[in-house]
Amino acid sequence: MSIALILQMILAAFAATIIYTIIGAAPGADETATIAPVILVLVLSGMNAMVILSFFISAIVACKLIDAVPVSIAGIPAGVMSTPMVEHAMLLKKNGLTETSIRKIASGAIVGTLVSVPVSLLLARVIVPFASSIKDYGNLVFFIGAIILALLSKKRWVALASIIPFALLIQGLRYLYWGVGAVKEGTNVSTSFFLGITIGPVILTLVELLDKEKRDKMQKFGKNRIYLRKEDELKKVPNPFKILTKKELAYSALASLLGSVTFLLSPVGLTTFFGELLAGRVKDPVEKASLAVSCMEALAQATYIAGILIPLIALGIPLSPVAIGPGNPLFNAPPVYTLEDNMHHILSNGDIAWATLIGASIACIITYFVTVKYSKQICTFVFKRIPHEALLGVFFSLVLLLAFVDGGWINVAGVFLIGIVAGTLHRMGVNYGVLFMILYSAPWISNVLAG
Amino acid sequence: MKKIDNELKDIKEEDNMERNIEVWEDLVYIKDLILALVICSTTALGGYFIAPKGQSKPLLFGISGAIIGFVICALLIKPKRILVEDSKES
Repeated sequence: MSIALILQMILAAFAATIIYTIIGAAPGADETATIAPVILVLVLSGMNAMVILSFFISAIVACKLIDAVPVSIAGIPAGVMSTPMVEHAMLLKKNGLTETSIRKIASGAIVGTLVSVPVSLLLARVIVPFASSIKDYGNLVFFIGAIILALLSKKRWVALASIIPFALLIQGLRYLYWGVGAVKEGTNVSTSFFLGITIGPVILTLVELLDKEKRDKMQKFGKNRIYLRKEDELKKVPNPFKILTKKELAYSALASLLGSVTFLLSPVGLTTFFGELLAGRVKDPVEKASLAVSCMEALAQATYIAGILIPLIALGIPLSPVAIGPGNPLFNAPPVYTLEDNMHHILSNGDIAWATLIGASIACIITYFVTVKYSKQICTFVFKRIPHEALLGVFFSLVLLLAFVDGGWINVAGVFLIGIVAGTLHRMGVNYGVLFMILYSAPWISNVLAG
Repeated sequence: MKKIDNELKDIKEEDNMERNIEVWEDLVYIKDLILALVICSTTALGGYFIAPKGQSKPLLFGISGAIIGFVICALLIKPKRILVEDSKES
């Protein structure tokens, strides 16, 4: 590792921290939608793999850590992941403990990161001997993954029923592109399909807006009123470990450990389940809420880090909700990375560990400092200056651009179609994880069906 | 007090009309949303097409275009949120 490379990694981690501290604080900014396209672009631009990885880790850590701010100050989840925390954060807010809530969440994130990085590196080593047998059945694993995730979701029958039709849609489009010569035969368009799924709900709403009847019927709102609490400025930035009580520290560490081991499962589901389990027995509501938010954040951070590191080190295929969501381009971003030749194959374990350490520590230090000290300023800036329309506009244009790059105008239409279908399925209760797993197992499903 | 007065005035002037819809967990005004989509798409694809030929240059120009579009939108469009500062919890 040369000094120049280390400097690049530090710079990348720094950039990611700043960008995702701002984006992460915006309401509704889903991690997959905000991180995946940017990582994809970095991969396609031919950037060094270690630099990309430290950017990615830093983005994930910053994005999760900054969650503390909108949740605690306004009771607004900054992404799906922080939804389970809202209830507890609101209780703290009601008791005038907004600042405490922010600090507890931020400290929980630090604990989660510190525990999960070494645990994931260790777990990955344990899994390595089984890696080749898991990979041999890669296609089947994705298919089974789709079924398991479908069974775990709320609308399990709808999700199960959608697997084969959605796989056919994907394969159908691929064969169409080969047939008309838009894409070289044998090349699977996948990145832009992936983004089409992500932005599906937005595409569906846009289509509905074309229908005047529907448009008039849509629920209309005035403005989103957000109540901010006046707080005194902090003079000093406190030590994250002193913020948590001994019990909170121990439980957060335990939650992080659990989160790292169960990296295959859905982070949101886990956060709710373990968070309630660990905090459930505490009687005093304030104590309970404060324990819940710190544990949940630690757990969320840990599932995220383990979810990316373990598949990356041991498997080389995206086999966790995080790897298949925001981390997807690290595994699959043709022509640079494919499932047979990606970051797992290019980087050694040491490389991955270094990139992770640099990314995670820079994001932790900066975002923790900023979160604890400038929480109100960030919230005010984001809520007052970043219109939601601009965020939607930039995601939409990234999808459009990458769709065009993948397969020309016909693929722009194809991604639009995928968006409509995925958006509809999503609204019916099929979660992203199922749809992404289907995307991966589509070739196998159609081959099996054809006999 | 002055601040609160301003806020209240803002609320009144800033069309009390209920015309925003919810997309992805936040409110948008349809016309502004369409404007943002058009601006960002134009700058992104525009960047891609005017870029000099090369391995990754068109994509890089395209992304830069998207970011420029984002900044333009952020300057042109007002967020549909009202911040109310309360010194006591309600």
